[in-house]
Amino acid sequence: MLRTRIAFLSRVTALVRKFSNTGYDSELRNAHDELEEDGCSGAMWGSSAGFGNLCKGLPRFNLPTVPDPAAFLRLHTDDRADPSCRIKIQHGTTTLAFRFRGGVIVAVDSRATAGSYIASGTVRKVIEINKFLLGTMAGGAADCQYWETYLGMQCRLYELRNRERISVAAASKYLANLVYSYKGMGLSMGTMICGWDKTGPAVYYVDNDGTRLKGDLFSVGSGSTFAYGVLDQGYHWDLTDSEAQELGRRSIYAAGHRDAFSGNTINLYHIKEDGWKFIGNYDVTKMHYDGPGDIPGATGGGYGYDVRTSSSTVVVP
Amino acid sequence: MFLTRSEYDRGVNTFSPEGRLFQGGTSRICYRGNQGKREIALDICLNINDGECFVFLQLGSTTVGVRTPEGVVLGVEKRVQSPLLESSTIEKIVEIDTHLGCAMSGLTADARTMIDHARVTAQNHAFTYDEPIKVESVTQAVCDLALRFGESVHDEDAMMSRPFGVALLIAGTDENGPQLFHTDPSGTFMRYDAKAIGSGSEAAQAELQDKWHTRMTLREAQILTLRILKQVMEEKLDQHNVQLAQVTKDNGFQILNETELRSVIEEM
Amino acid sequence: MQRQFNPYTENGGTILAIAGADFAVIAGDTRQTEGFNIQTRYAPKVFRLTDKAVLAVNGFAADGNMFVKKVKQRLEWYRHAHAKDMPLRAIARLIQTMLYAQRFFPYYVYNILGGIEDDGSGAVYSFDPVGSYERETCRAAGAAQQLVQPFLDNQIYFKNQVPPPGVAGGHPTHLPLDRVLSIVTDSFTSATERHIEVGDGLELYVVLAKGRSPQGLEGLRAAHVREVTGHTDGERVFVINQELKKD
Repeated sequence: MLRTRIAFLSRVTALVRKFSNTGYDSELRNAHDELEEDGCSGAMWGSSAGFGNLCKGLPRFNLPTVPDPAAFLRLHTDDRADPSCRIKIQHGTTTLAFRFRGGVIVAVDSRATAGSYIASGTVRKVIEINKFLLGTMAGGAADCQYWETYLGMQCRLYELRNRERISVAAASKYLANLVYSYKGMGLSMGTMICGWDKTGPAVYYVDNDGTRLKGDLFSVGSGSTFAYGVLDQGYHWDLTDSEAQELGRRSIYAAGHRDAFSGNTINLYHIKEDGWKFIGNYDVTKMHYDGPGDIPGATGGGYGYDVRTSSSTVVVP
Repeated sequence: MFLTRSEYDRGVNTFSPEGRLFQGGTSRICYRGNQGKREIALDICLNINDGECFVFLQLGSTTVGVRTPEGVVLGVEKRVQSPLLESSTIEKIVEIDTHLGCAMSGLTADARTMIDHARVTAQNHAFTYDEPIKVESVTQAVCDLALRFGESVHDEDAMMSRPFGVALLIAGTDENGPQLFHTDPSGTFMRYDAKAIGSGSEAAQAELQDKWHTRMTLREAQILTLRILKQVMEEKLDQHNVQLAQVTKDNGFQILNETELRSVIEEM
Repeated sequence: MQRQFNPYTENGGTILAIAGADFAVIAGDTRQTEGFNIQTRYAPKVFRLTDKAVLAVNGFAADGNMFVKKVKQRLEWYRHAHAKDMPLRAIARLIQTMLYAQRFFPYYVYNILGGIEDDGSGAVYSFDPVGSYERETCRAAGAAQQLVQPFLDNQIYFKNQVPPPGVAGGHPTHLPLDRVLSIVTDSFTSATERHIEVGDGLELYVVLAKGRSPQGLEGLRAAHVREVTGHTDGERVFVINQELKKD
């Protein structure tokens, strides 16, 4: 009885010490945390030297010593909740991917906004995970870039250990499990993991809630509704390669045209059995006036300007 | 060896008052205890006190590595102990990363841990620095494991109760060109132009010393590797009982398939 | 009610970097403000990391200085572990992982990295506070970003103007050094005119690729130009200090 009581008391003391935010103990602990913030104190030597927060295997993240770190992060970084917040994290915007007879088409815009400022018009929102896997970027640019690069590393390790390529299902599940473990902490990503494996073309939608959906056709981001409008009316399984590429291009153009957070240029990729191929980069404004030019699948002429101004479509008395 | 009185710390990583490490003796005994009844009569003697490490991999299969300006060739003998054994499942040359390969001799099971560590390190490096890891750095990382046995150091996990019983030849290319490294159970590593390890290593190394030259082509290196293996092997060499791999700048790590191997054997 | 934990301040100022074919220019003003007070007229925001990499930091000065210190430490460890200086693209990725390690307690810092890649080309990498990054030709960040970036888009990328003869639009890396330097100076004098948090001094780093002559620097007064590399056989780094208005 006494023993358990002492054990209990010492445990309480330990708990109190652990969670107290004032006093000598916490000062020391904070100093210690500060020194160890990169993950481990011995990181300057040994084979994990130089890997920073990755040196213990899984990446470790430093947290502010406040009762609710997620609220802290929201307060300082969420520009949708508070446009005057200091740290403006770049956000990505319209992305789409669909599966058809000839593989997977992945098309994205290239605009990044921080608040209402266009932080960049040349963002690469398609992340090349490996020769057979592509990921798309919507939401926090850093979250997508970092975790999809990390996924690429894990896929490579899988390949070395199992002597075969990872399936799209497994890769997307790995990412979904990963972001699920940070649920509620403030990650922001909506991504499509696209690829070709033993089962053929595959597209999975994964987001920061931990949602993971298998499907033929997805669009993610603030311009997704506009992209879906074009995509849904033009999509069928038996599209030819060039028709499918044109559909992807045309859909992102529509989003770039109607959504203020999307635009600048279109990046288009096509995944086939032998891996992905970059098809091209297209300026949205140029698409509006001139179209993609003499490209297979394209009807020729601008996507927007001519149809709105040519006399044949205007009723002239 | 010397008296082990109870007032002295007996940890395998701890120096005795005479300035010796216990690990040589301790691990050897432990090792024999575990493996003595098995056929593999592999004997590790670590003598770090003399600043040198003697590794007697008495019955480890012969493994050869040859560096040329075009790339590095690795060759191993696969001992097919039974006609019922599926020889393709003997894996003694493995990929660490696109630009890195590794051949082993000794307790190949021990190498699994080391190779996985090498792979993880190579991937972590690529993730953190967006560049392939250097051959020497990955070799260093493997050797960091060598002394991680015995009792654990503060919060670190002790990975093994004894030293690794395997020697490796690590081949790769980086900005310094094609390189070949040899690692042994003490954690020492050295760079070689050509190196043989395993049971036939003495004869093989002498032959390498005789035949290796700086302007060797990759093909010559392949043939030399096979010739040396042929000399030290008891069985007649064919495409089933040897394995060849190479690391080149353009194509990275490749294990030669049966057809490629047969063509080298024919040219020999 | 609990008092809010607010560890961040905005210290004003502006940084920018422009890449040329075989050089990079990284610049920042030297004023540091807090609110409407000028705390100091000389607080460097641009730092030499190696002989081929220069990092500019902007945002919260304390975070920025600490971040630069940690990057330098990691570069040192890398040099010991791998017996070479870290290549520019490796530094860029390292900075991403270091920023992202603070994903849930971000550094309030906008980074621009400029320098010479292993292939000898000039390069600029820009980062957001949590580590998303991109290689670009030019980038401005900080208080006067909204004033400077459109000017650079126009003068460097030739956006909304007909490119001069013989110049392909969108690929401006062949702009000569003297032209780039005058664009940088103009960016800062103009930003000083229109932004209260910009001014006092301009500190400008020029990184030249291995073997490139310092041609383009001779137009500047020698007293203002200082070489900070000890040798002339590798990449070379020059610092140029100029005055900006102090009101």
